[in-house]
Amino acid sequence: MRTRLFMAALAAVSLGVVAATASAGVQRAQANKLTVWLQVDAQSGWPDLVAAANQQFQQQNPGWTVDVQYQNWSDHLQKFDATLAGSDTPDVIEMGNTEMTKYMAAGAFADLTSSKSQFPNSSHWLAGLAKSGQYGGKVFGVPYYAGSRVITYRADLFKKAGITKPPTSLAQFETDLVKVGKINKAKGFAPLYVGGEDWYTALSFVYDYGGSIATTHGGKWVGSLDSPKSIAGLTAFKKFFDATQPKSTATLDGTSPFPYTVFSQGQTAANYGPAWYTCCTGAKYKGVTAQFVMPSHIKGQPMPGFLGGSDLAVPAPSNAKAQAIQWIADFTSTASEQGLEQKGNIPNATNLLGTSVNERAAARSWFVPQAKHWVDVENGNILKTMLSQILTGKLTVKQAATVASQNIAQTLNES
Amino acid sequence: MRTKAVRRTGWNALGIALFVVLVFPVFWMVSTAFKTEDQINSLTPTWFPTHPTLSHFSDALHRPFFWTDVKNSLIVVLISVAIAMSVAFFAAVALSKYRFTGRKLFLVLMIGIQMLPAAGLIIPLYVVLARYHEVNTLTGVILVYIASVLPFSVWTLRGFIIGIPNDLEEAAMVDGSTRLGAFMRILLPLVAPGLVATSVFAFITSWNEYIFARTLLNDQSRQTITVWLSYFLGTQRQTDWGSLMAASTLTAIPVVIFFLLVQRKIAFGLTRGAVKG
Amino acid sequence: MPYLLVAPVVVVLGAILGYPIYNLVRLSLQRYGLFELIQHHGVYIGLHNFGSVLHDSVFWHTLVRTIVFTIANVGLTIVVGTLLALLLVQVSAWVRILLTAGLVLVWAMPPVVAVQVWNWMTNIQNGVLNYLLTELHVGDYFQHNWYVTPFSQLAMSTTLIVWGALPFVVITVYAALSQVSPELVEAAEIDGAASWRVFKDVTMPVITPVLLILTSLSILWDFGVFTQPYLLIGQGHIVPSNYLMGIYLFEEGYVRADFGRGAAISILMLVIVAAMSIVYVRRMIRLGELA
Repeated sequence: MRTRLFMAALAAVSLGVVAATASAGVQRAQANKLTVWLQVDAQSGWPDLVAAANQQFQQQNPGWTVDVQYQNWSDHLQKFDATLAGSDTPDVIEMGNTEMTKYMAAGAFADLTSSKSQFPNSSHWLAGLAKSGQYGGKVFGVPYYAGSRVITYRADLFKKAGITKPPTSLAQFETDLVKVGKINKAKGFAPLYVGGEDWYTALSFVYDYGGSIATTHGGKWVGSLDSPKSIAGLTAFKKFFDATQPKSTATLDGTSPFPYTVFSQGQTAANYGPAWYTCCTGAKYKGVTAQFVMPSHIKGQPMPGFLGGSDLAVPAPSNAKAQAIQWIADFTSTASEQGLEQKGNIPNATNLLGTSVNERAAARSWFVPQAKHWVDVENGNILKTMLSQILTGKLTVKQAATVASQNIAQTLNES
Repeated sequence: MRTKAVRRTGWNALGIALFVVLVFPVFWMVSTAFKTEDQINSLTPTWFPTHPTLSHFSDALHRPFFWTDVKNSLIVVLISVAIAMSVAFFAAVALSKYRFTGRKLFLVLMIGIQMLPAAGLIIPLYVVLARYHEVNTLTGVILVYIASVLPFSVWTLRGFIIGIPNDLEEAAMVDGSTRLGAFMRILLPLVAPGLVATSVFAFITSWNEYIFARTLLNDQSRQTITVWLSYFLGTQRQTDWGSLMAASTLTAIPVVIFFLLVQRKIAFGLTRGAVKG
Repeated sequence: MPYLLVAPVVVVLGAILGYPIYNLVRLSLQRYGLFELIQHHGVYIGLHNFGSVLHDSVFWHTLVRTIVFTIANVGLTIVVGTLLALLLVQVSAWVRILLTAGLVLVWAMPPVVAVQVWNWMTNIQNGVLNYLLTELHVGDYFQHNWYVTPFSQLAMSTTLIVWGALPFVVITVYAALSQVSPELVEAAEIDGAASWRVFKDVTMPVITPVLLILTSLSILWDFGVFTQPYLLIGQGHIVPSNYLMGIYLFEEGYVRADFGRGAAISILMLVIVAAMSIVYVRRMIRLGELA
């Protein structure tokens, strides 16, 4: 009798599971729902701007709701790939500007060229950012916001070393840093904290000297890190690095530890990085932290800074493209962009630019080659390997740059 | 007698030393949850938080969806484990106590399925679930977890059951009960430790599972607690270590409670005999 | 009767995993990149994916590295785990409870969090490990970077993985030890047998099935391990010279969005793991035959 009960229970359980799988659940996608994927930076940094855009959108489209789902940089692309496989993609997605090209080339996004005029300030879009959203002459991404790189420093320590104004040339900066190093003999202290493998920094030197990562010749990519100008830039970087950094930072890439953590521990007087570093430089130094533009080796000019940023795109399988475009227009409105600017970001159009250090630094900027496989170069850590080889002395600048150049060309030219 | 006591003290000392080494990372996590920001980032480690603060716990508890996601995790894990364990137990009994054709094949399948790298199955599973509109549902995740836990449970439970001598059931059957009845009465209590160990493992594996939960669940109101945790690490900006450690401590508590509830079933005293003389 | 008992498992697994596994095999025979993913249509290229992987020297180097890694991890886990379980038998009840509680705490820590704690304990600026080693005069480890060489990176990963794997092994072996009849042990000791003989003749037969299971499972898990080394070493320092198979699969298949190749690598991994664990699996199956 008991055994029969057991058997019955078993059968019921297994049938239940099968039924659950087989029954096409009544979970159909809600009609009139817009799904938006933004990065968590928006959730923690400017949730009010998101709410305002949602409200505006809902007024324009009664009966529609907006479902904003926040994503992490580390896995949002894998998640996006899964939705592309299943055809239930979001209607709007935030993409990093270096991530765009691969997906544009694969046909992941809707063509927004004919709707360009709908986006506020589109005729004044920042050139660098706008380019990251274009492919084959068509527009697939709307610039969202950008960020350049600046020097965040300890005004008190600089003053103590007798430096009264920001340096106007790289040579001057190096001298200043050495002075700051002399008055701070704490073990492990570095006047400037820069990860040796932080290629955003190292390559700024390359572009400052007129070099580049790769160029196209007759439809094929050719690596140019081994060109004379690039090598000059890398050599200048090595010299600068050796003069201002402890040996141990040669193999660090600036994510572990974060430069601002080192800053907050009092172990460095300056960081070169995004402007929002001031968020995390420690309560202790809040009053004495300031910023200035990183100087070029050419006196009076800023060093070209990597222009990071995000675009907003509409995945091709979306069923709500018109609404998606409208939401993007609401979120990149003049008011919204001005809100982003106030939070320390660079807005997406030149007519909205202010005079913060971040925005002044963006006057000279560089960007990565716009190739379908650029993401693979980044993920393959080719640049980081090159830098650690140079800085640890394992290879000469010329050797390391030649190897990297060949690897980059090979990766970019993959089919 | 005295040497036995001395030896025992020696073992105890070793046990305590090992305890300290093993638990240190957990201790570090919990103590950090109580430290102030400065103590966390300081250059020299702070061993004990001298001015413990509850602000990190408060921050973690007040983050949106914490309680909702705890509830989701509990639902998903308890259902998966309950179903998987019962189904696996019967299969394990069949595999160890009966002879039937296809037995070897079934066994090979149980271990074979576990050899499939999970990463390889993410997209195919997603596509299948999407077809039945089970993406972004707790049911979908439950199904995936059951499938993940079943092969291992069958395989392990079989091992425990094999270790039990047949004489017992034979003795019971002499009394006139059916084979299955004999199993239930005699086997179940003896296999209890193994059953508990396996279900604890199933519970913990499912509770801490991240990849599938992350891929399948999009709405923050439907996510599990491990996905909720990952948001602390997501931004490019500073990781809030204090709150992350506080949040992690909180997510570990249900596991500890579950274990405490079932641990009595694992014999901690070697007091039972197998066959009475 | 047995078929009725086994049926639910077959039904559940068939329903959930049947199509995905079929899909995986099919994918491995297609060219399926991001473009094909969006089109929902791949191009059949037969065994080309497999050929490409087997001709890739990175695959072979990674394989050897992963086999060595697996042997180290499994060896440490099983040996240390069994020793700890035996220790649990020897200590007083309160120490036993303390240790078990500790093990459960270790077990309860989500791997993602454990990695963060490891990262932190070993970080170059203020990691506790460097601090302790310097204070205990083991050497000057001030600002020592533990993640420079592949060996060091994988060694750190090993400590993390073995630490996380111990609780399950210890508790399971301990549960199995509880099935050893104390009367038999006493009888053997009274007869004058050394503890090693007692272990070999009385204890081992009972716990052997469990040890075989744990070993075979550990081989599976450690061979395909992904989360811990990937997060600990950090995506920024993952390069072919420190690839493990699980990471190789992820990088080559999914990050590069070459899903066909990823499927081929998955199947190759399955074959290799099967080959590695066949000895244990066969013994496991044969043991059951005697019942």
